[in-house]
Amino acid sequence: MELSDVADGFVAVVKRDCPTCTLVAPALALLARSAASRGMALTVLTQDDPAFPEQIAHPDCPAVLVDDTDLGRSYRLDIDTVPTLLQVVDGEETARLVGWSREAWRQLTGDPELGHDLPEQRPGCGSLTLDPGRSDELRVRFEGSRLRSRRVEISPLEDEMEAMFDRGWSDGLPVVPPSPARVLRMLEGTTRAPDDIVAVIPPDLVPCSVEKVAVNAVMAGCKPEYLPVVLTAVEAACTDEFNMHGLLATTYFAGPVVIVNGPLSRAIGMNSGTNALGQGNRANATIGRALQLVVRNVGGGVPGGVDRATMGNPGKYTFCFAEDESDPRWETLAVEKGFAPDASTVTLFAGDGVRGVVDQLSRQAESLARSFAASMVAIPHPKLAFAFDMVLVVSPEHARVFHDAGWSKDQLRARLTELTELDGDDVVRGAGGIDEGMPEAFAGQRFPKLRPGGLTIVRAGGGAGLFSAIIGGWVSGRMGSDPVTREVTS
Amino acid sequence: MHDIADLESRGLPGVFVASREFIDAAATQAAAIGFDAARVFVDHPIQDRTDDEMRALADRAVDEILAAITTR
Amino acid sequence: MSTVLDPTGELRVVDRPRVERPASLDGLTIGLLDITKARGDVFLDQLDLRLTERGHHVVRFSKPTFTKVAPIDLRQEIATQCHVVIEALAD
Repeated sequence: MELSDVADGFVAVVKRDCPTCTLVAPALALLARSAASRGMALTVLTQDDPAFPEQIAHPDCPAVLVDDTDLGRSYRLDIDTVPTLLQVVDGEETARLVGWSREAWRQLTGDPELGHDLPEQRPGCGSLTLDPGRSDELRVRFEGSRLRSRRVEISPLEDEMEAMFDRGWSDGLPVVPPSPARVLRMLEGTTRAPDDIVAVIPPDLVPCSVEKVAVNAVMAGCKPEYLPVVLTAVEAACTDEFNMHGLLATTYFAGPVVIVNGPLSRAIGMNSGTNALGQGNRANATIGRALQLVVRNVGGGVPGGVDRATMGNPGKYTFCFAEDESDPRWETLAVEKGFAPDASTVTLFAGDGVRGVVDQLSRQAESLARSFAASMVAIPHPKLAFAFDMVLVVSPEHARVFHDAGWSKDQLRARLTELTELDGDDVVRGAGGIDEGMPEAFAGQRFPKLRPGGLTIVRAGGGAGLFSAIIGGWVSGRMGSDPVTREVTS
Repeated sequence: MHDIADLESRGLPGVFVASREFIDAAATQAAAIGFDAARVFVDHPIQDRTDDEMRALADRAVDEILAAITTR
Repeated sequence: MSTVLDPTGELRVVDRPRVERPASLDGLTIGLLDITKARGDVFLDQLDLRLTERGHHVVRFSKPTFTKVAPIDLRQEIATQCHVVIEALAD
C-alpha cells in the first residue's frame, strides 16, 4: 500500500546521524546504477536530512531521494532500524534487510560487486520513528483516528489538572490527563481492539470499550502492561454474580477488592509482600483505582448519586493486591478455583476493609485457628450469620504454623468453619442484652457462621509479623455478591 | 459563548445567536469550556444583507430563541 | 490547547448543565446583549420589537467589543437586572 507509488526495485531507509548509513551511502549510489541498468529503481527515504546521502542527491544519480523527515513513510513501513533495504515488486514489499550485511545485500540486490570496499557486517541504528517523543507523536498522527472517544479541548487558560477535577472525572485525587498519545500508548498493552466491548458498566449500563478502559487506566496512573489486568477486573466486576451495581448502590461500607494471581502479577511488579494491602506499589494502587474510575466515569457511579454508602471505606479509592505464591506448599487462589498454575487470574471480592488479627504466641495450628475464628465471629456482628463472606489473608509467619502442622488450606477452612459455628441461644435477638441478632427460630440450634464457600483464604504480607487480616464482605450470594475469578488473557 | 457560560453560572438562562458559519466553532468552544451553551443559528452571510433581510432573519429566529430560554 | 479523551460513557452532552429554564417569560426581564458586530444592531432592534410586541420586558446592553468577553461589571449588571439573556449576533 505504502509502496504503491514506488517503482519496482529497492527502497532504502537511512538517516545521516547513523554511521552505518554513512558507510553504505556510496554502495547505495552504485546500487542505483546497477539496478537501473537492469530496469529496476532505487528509492531512498531519508529521515533526518533531505540532502543525505549526497551521492543519491546528485543529479546524475538515477535513484529517487524522498524526504521523509516527517517520518510518515518510515512509520507506515514499520521501520525500526536504519539502514533498512526493502525489495519491492508490484508495489508490495517482498523482502527486508536490516543493517548492513554485504552477503545479504548482494544476494537480495543481485549485484555481486556491491560493497566490495565495505566491511562484511555492520549493525544499523535505531529508526527516528522510535525516538521517544517522536514515536508518541507519530502514533497520534497515524493511529489517532482509531480512537472513538469524544475529544475534549482544554483551553490554555485552564490548568489541565484542575480541568480534570472541574469536569467531575476524579475520585478526589489528581488524575493523569488522558491525552490521545497516552491512551494510544496504553492500548499497546493489549492485543484487543480499541472498540472491543469489555462489559456493560453499572449504574448507567453503558457498554464500555477497551478504549474507555484505557482512558481511565491512563487517568488512574497505570502502565500499559497493567491494562490486561484492569480489563479483566472490569469484566469480572460487571458480571451478574459479582453484582457491581448492587455493591455500588449499597449503604454498606464495601467496594470491589481485586486479588491478582499468577506470573503476570510478578511480571508487572505487583506487591504481595511487605505492606501488600497498603500504599506504595504502583501496580496495586493504580489497577484498583482504574476499576473504580471506570465505574465512576463510564458507568456514572458517583458517591451521593447511585453510590449511597453511609460511610464507605478508604479501599474504595483502590483495593488491589497480589497473592504471595512463593511457597509451593500453599495452594494459590487461582489453582483452588481450577486454573492452571501458570495462569494469571483476577478475583473480585466485595470487601469492606481490613481488620487485623494478632496472635504472636500460637505455635500450634489448632490454637492459631481458634484465634482466627474468634475474630471472624465478630464480622460484621457477633450475632449474625450466613450473610457475610470473608477473605482471610494469612501472613507468611502464620502460614508457617499451618505448614509445620501439615494443615492444607482446605483443612484450615474446614476447621475454621467448625470453630465459627454459632449457638442459636447465644445469638437470637435479645440474647446478651442486644436486640440485634438471628430470628427466634434459630434458638436451640447450632449453625455455621459462614455459608458454604463463603470463606476465601489467600496468603500475602511481609516475612516479619505474626499478624493476619480479615477482609469482611458484603451481603453474599444472590442477594448480594459472589466472588468472581477470571483469567487474564490479553 | 463565554458570556453565556458566565451568565448561566450567575443563574440566568441564556442563548446566543450566530450565523451558521459558527456551528463547528461553537461546538469546539462548548467542549473547550465544558459548557454546551444554548445557541440559535441564522443563515449566513450577514454583512452584505439589506436591513429588510436582517429583520426577516430576526423574525424567523424569534420562536427558536424563545424556546431556547424557556421550557417550551 | 491540549486535548484529552472523554473518560465518560458520553451519555451527557455537557459537562456543566444549563440553568433550568422558566416555563414562561411572563413577568421576567429579557436582556438583549449586542456583541457590537456590524449589522447585528438591525437584527437586535427587530428582535426587541417582536419581543416587546408579545408583551415581554426587554433591556438592551452592548459589549464594548465583540472580540473580547464582556467586562465583569457588564455581566454583573445583566445578572442583576435580567432573568434571561439573549446574545447576538456573531457571524
